[in-house]
Amino acid sequence: MNLAISGLKYIEEIKNGNYTIEEFVSKTLEQIQKLDGKLHAFLSLNDKAIDQAKKLDKKIQKNEKIGACFGMPISIKDNICVKGTKTTCASKMLEDFVAPYEATVISKLKSEDAIIIGKTNMDEFAMGLTTEFSAFGPSRNPWNHDYVPGGSSGGSAVAVRALECVASLGSDTGGSVRNPASFCSVVGYKPTYGLVSRYGLISYANSIEQIGPLTRTVEDLAFILNIISGIDDKDNTTVDNKNEDYLSEIDAGVEGKKIGIIKEMIGDGADKEVVSATNNAVKKFENLGAKCEEISLDMVDYSVAAYYTISATEAGSNLARYDNLRYGFDFPLEGFEFNSYISKARKNFGPEVTRRLIVGGFVPSAGFAGKYFLKALKVKSKLTAEVNEAFKKVDLLLAPTVPICPFKLGEKIDDPIALFLIDFNTVTANLTGKPAISIPFELSDGLPIGIQLLAKSMHDKALLQAAYALQNTVHLPEIQL
Amino acid sequence: MILKEKIEEVAKLMRIELDDHVVYLDRVQKMIEYFDILDEADVESEKLSVQELPIKNLREDKHIPYEERIIDTLKNYKGNYIRAPKMI
Repeated sequence: MNLAISGLKYIEEIKNGNYTIEEFVSKTLEQIQKLDGKLHAFLSLNDKAIDQAKKLDKKIQKNEKIGACFGMPISIKDNICVKGTKTTCASKMLEDFVAPYEATVISKLKSEDAIIIGKTNMDEFAMGLTTEFSAFGPSRNPWNHDYVPGGSSGGSAVAVRALECVASLGSDTGGSVRNPASFCSVVGYKPTYGLVSRYGLISYANSIEQIGPLTRTVEDLAFILNIISGIDDKDNTTVDNKNEDYLSEIDAGVEGKKIGIIKEMIGDGADKEVVSATNNAVKKFENLGAKCEEISLDMVDYSVAAYYTISATEAGSNLARYDNLRYGFDFPLEGFEFNSYISKARKNFGPEVTRRLIVGGFVPSAGFAGKYFLKALKVKSKLTAEVNEAFKKVDLLLAPTVPICPFKLGEKIDDPIALFLIDFNTVTANLTGKPAISIPFELSDGLPIGIQLLAKSMHDKALLQAAYALQNTVHLPEIQL
Repeated sequence: MILKEKIEEVAKLMRIELDDHVVYLDRVQKMIEYFDILDEADVESEKLSVQELPIKNLREDKHIPYEERIIDTLKNYKGNYIRAPKMI
């Protein structure tokens, strides 16, 4: 049995009776057992996965109705609530928190008979882009264990690439799905804001974050998006997608499409290997019949500062609830006065979360809000106008997902500005609410480079069609696990 | 130059102890100084866009029964109340 298959191929194999769900899930758990000591993609595993697989196999044997996922083993970033399981956000603060309810995306996956194989590692509270800020230790890049896998959904990307699951769900606030997808060479998606319910996603920066899938193929991504997207009365920011089928007509191609190359995202800060890969992607799109032209978005130069100002402000508000009275860890009340108790409780946040909380308290505070927070909102507003204007001229925007190649663990962890700039190409989609995808494209010195495409809001289907067209031109060597 | 005292004041209001100045104060200062780039953005005339949510998207404001008592999952509670440390 080969674990290195797509989700759609897995479904076909199960339907054809080539193997049972139990066999595939067991083999997947063996793979986790074999590799995860090194890779550390998972924080916890579902100890009922085999029982769930057996039940689904019985359904098939009895010709009973079975959901579209046919027991597909899917991993979930550990900031999405799965009822009755630990949801730690990779934080000491929530080390023993067991989610008392199900996130909408989980209810939807379970209703289609997906098996949640486990919860994946991440930067604490999704604040980071290397997974090094996990309180439980970093994940490692499966292409080279000395390198970071990206983040914050690093565990999800590692698990998908290392065949420890078929697909995964992450969350993308400033690139947290697309960045690790690029560093590990999987497909990663940030849907249009509102396309996927955030109910049950532990909040970081509500106005810009989205849950998104990570898969090995664009078709798998469309398949998962079909299941998890759509309006949800538990999240009033969701939009009605009229049950759009993202998988149908995925091979429509890009003939006649206009693609804008974002000039600022391949500027001085980008590695030459990344610029070269981007130029190659442009050539491939031209060969597929698309027309490519350079587009300038002035506000991109300020987007990282705006993003961190806005996200830290929202995080400062969202994480205020971890005062150990309503949310937190086991810690007795006796011997503390109110303020000192909360200060002591907040010590369970790691250093990066603590720093961002302080920033989030500072930038909207009296005397500084005009200089930072309100200006960041104005940049967001002008950037959105610029991107909307660009989409009057072109159908899609293209840029490298990350301006630099994957780097070694520990290399940038002490330099907050170097870390900020890794987000340079991804935050635009979050600030403007647009859908964006990272597609595995090339390897440089044995490490992956991803290409990013953006589309107009609610044009997710056209975006996936273009991503599929590019994917079919790419043939990367097999990873040695 | 951002005054470190201002950052310390905000941290205190947020009930965050800054016991390691290099790990917290210096890096927070670096982060905030990077945001000064926003001063160069030509956005003075820009109007703030407010995200409007259509009222029809809001669910009815009614009690939804839940099978479990969520409060029971808390360590510090009494009856239907959350216990907190003394204020004085």
